[in-house]
Amino acid sequence: MKAIRTLFHHLRPRFEEGGPYHKLYAFYESIETVFFGPVERSEGLPHVRDSLDVKRFMALVIVALIPHLCFGIYNSGLQSRLASGLSTDLLPVIWSGIWLVLPMVIVTYVVGFAWEILFAVVRKHEISEGLFVSCMLFPLTLPPGTPLWQVALGISFGIVIGKEVFGGTGRNFLNPALTGRAFLYFAYPVSLSGDQVWTVLSGARTTVVDTFTAATPLSVSASTPAGQAVEETLHSVGYGALKLFGGLYPGSVGGTSTLLCVLGGLFLILLGIASYRIILGGVLGVLCTGALLNLIAGPDSAPFLSLNPFYHLIMGGSAFGIVYMTTDPVSATHMKHVKWIYGFMCGMLTVLIRVFNPAFPEGVGLAILFMNLFNPLLDHIEMQLRMRRRMSNV
Amino acid sequence: MISVRTAKGYDLPIQGAPLETSQTIALPATVAVLPEHIPFVRPRLAVAEGDRVAVGDLLFTDKTNPRFRFLSPGGGRVDAIHYGPRRVLREIVIRRDAENEPVTSLGRPLDGDAIDRYPRAELVAHLLAGGVWPLLRALPYRDIADPEQVPPAIFVSLDHREPFQVPPARYLENNRALFELGLRALKRLSPTVHVHADAADRAFCEAHQELITHRVQGRYPADDPGVVLFQVRRSPEENTAWFIDGQDLLLMAQLLQSGAYPTARLFAVAGTGAAAPRYVASRMGAPIKDLAGEIGCRDPRYLVGGVLRGYTGDPEGHMGLYETALAVLPEPGDVDFLTLFRPGPNKPTYSRTFLSALRRAPLPMTTNVNGGRRACIACGYCADVCPVDIWPQMTLKSILAEEVEEYLAQGLLDCVECGLCTYVCPSKIELAATLQAAKHAHRKEQA
Repeated sequence: MKAIRTLFHHLRPRFEEGGPYHKLYAFYESIETVFFGPVERSEGLPHVRDSLDVKRFMALVIVALIPHLCFGIYNSGLQSRLASGLSTDLLPVIWSGIWLVLPMVIVTYVVGFAWEILFAVVRKHEISEGLFVSCMLFPLTLPPGTPLWQVALGISFGIVIGKEVFGGTGRNFLNPALTGRAFLYFAYPVSLSGDQVWTVLSGARTTVVDTFTAATPLSVSASTPAGQAVEETLHSVGYGALKLFGGLYPGSVGGTSTLLCVLGGLFLILLGIASYRIILGGVLGVLCTGALLNLIAGPDSAPFLSLNPFYHLIMGGSAFGIVYMTTDPVSATHMKHVKWIYGFMCGMLTVLIRVFNPAFPEGVGLAILFMNLFNPLLDHIEMQLRMRRRMSNV
Repeated sequence: MISVRTAKGYDLPIQGAPLETSQTIALPATVAVLPEHIPFVRPRLAVAEGDRVAVGDLLFTDKTNPRFRFLSPGGGRVDAIHYGPRRVLREIVIRRDAENEPVTSLGRPLDGDAIDRYPRAELVAHLLAGGVWPLLRALPYRDIADPEQVPPAIFVSLDHREPFQVPPARYLENNRALFELGLRALKRLSPTVHVHADAADRAFCEAHQELITHRVQGRYPADDPGVVLFQVRRSPEENTAWFIDGQDLLLMAQLLQSGAYPTARLFAVAGTGAAAPRYVASRMGAPIKDLAGEIGCRDPRYLVGGVLRGYTGDPEGHMGLYETALAVLPEPGDVDFLTLFRPGPNKPTYSRTFLSALRRAPLPMTTNVNGGRRACIACGYCADVCPVDIWPQMTLKSILAEEVEEYLAQGLLDCVECGLCTYVCPSKIELAATLQAAKHAHRKEQA
């Protein structure tokens, strides 16, 4: 510890006013405060301040996401080797997974951090930690094996257009990670949609082995022929409810496991970081919409309408989106009660997009981005209602 | 007795509460008045350095309202007049005569019946001349009450939830009759007089139940007069109610009873940095050094008036007119290694992100801001603690955008300046100071 302190003590003057690297002070400061908590004397009203800062707030979200990253590494490796007909021993699976996933994560962080530093230096402010969460979320929403240049482009779009042009973390109105994800989806549909993109073949194979289902549960559901129940079709290709809940099926890197989302969501709610109103609202939105579709489904309608609503929560990225993407406090509603509406609408739109829009098999990301746009309006409405109820004091 | 419940608020888990001992220290060699910390007063000096003054002699008046007179809490010689930047009048220090301290008479002594018969205008004049009128203050700006007005109500505040204040049981112990005399005087000033006390002091509320009109339940600052008003008001006209602290009401009563300027004060001395946290009986405007006694930390900060709302006192300076609390906290010293990764069983926090959230033990605190300043991330903690239901983060944005009508409609003037929003903010935004500044600017515009 002493050695590290001496090192920082030694380095600090070079980054301070007059030092050769003064322009990179924001970068230096962000590293130093990871090791040593910042010291600044308060000015009063009040003289004491809470121990919680934004760094810890965001770091805890990353802690909640680490199981998803580990799971993503394992699952990507597993699906890749299953599709290629290779052995599924633990170590080779992890090794394959690491090669598939870690480069994406590293590229995301390097590129995202570079943009943040650039903006911090030009704007002369400190590096905001929201970036680290966005950079962790972004690769988890991508298919494993996304070309790295696309990863770099996507996170650049997310950070710069989704956040920095509006003034950085706290002033953005869209979720930066989802903005980048949506950009890639629309800019490179070939490499980011369809059944073939979700698994990466290892070795010399060019086609998946016959016993392996490369289609994601969502595309299986959407293409269920009329007259057949979606649950049975899913079951027949190996997607039982438990498997879907656990998440070991082809899909985005970190978003497939509803089990981990439940645990992560509980962790964040217990710590008071994620709003339970949004998460419960989102879950309710999915279930209510699913149930409503069940009611209106006739014998001639698409089988997707009659799907058990709970399947919408365990398939694809809806759980991941609801737990980690809707709850980004900056792009969510800022007022308390409309959080229910925001969450509910996110869940509802997710299901509607899935069921009624054949162009988009997954709808959660677009649903959240769409609702992000409405949040200022929802906040305004709640604020107006509160102001009207309040006894005037002018 | 009416029960008043405030759901929001927060009790700071801070270490260093005063021990249950009282101490009377030798009368201080110097006492002072600090015009800088009397709200909205523009002082016009009536004395010069070297002048002789008696207890109760005029030191200065207010330029805006010359009827506000500020009197000397000590008899002797004006030792020094300290100015701050831009000639702000900081301190008028009086060196007391060691023996036979001269005292000026400020009118004839009155008893309760005489007060009941006293015409209101004459009583007001009596209190103004006696220098205790400034102890009466008006909401929402917390400035000195306007003697030309009749307030809709006066709140007598027996509040002490902010760390660390003198609990009313201590100063009311032998002064109940005096307190009642004060209440009779207040009733001449306003048709409605409320006395509110913290319901958590059960024994105290029982013992004085004929005096107390409102029993307040809730965490800090539930017992602040502004919060009580927010809870009990029925119409907007009540917003301009007056308030007076319990100990200050005793001073007012003492003036009426004795005809001399009252100067006795009971102080709470506390905080992590105070070696002997305790209650100290001394004189109004006593030197901070005398009160603080032994200091238990290397780099102390003296907080006059409380940990949350107080101001930083000069260690060589004196207590102000209103303040009866002195807290000593250490300035932040060595930085913590890898704080980010520690579970933090000893880190005080409102959130649930440290292990300390699992236990409600008093914890040591410093004056460290504990983090870098960031843009608001809309965590909503500030709105969760605001006792008067303001959404500080939204109001802050309205203030920065200069949307005057909007921030007033959001309840800016209800703000009791408790400081909790700034305390809980993880982005370390100076919410309370910004709201307070906006309130002060608004008052200036009204004038």
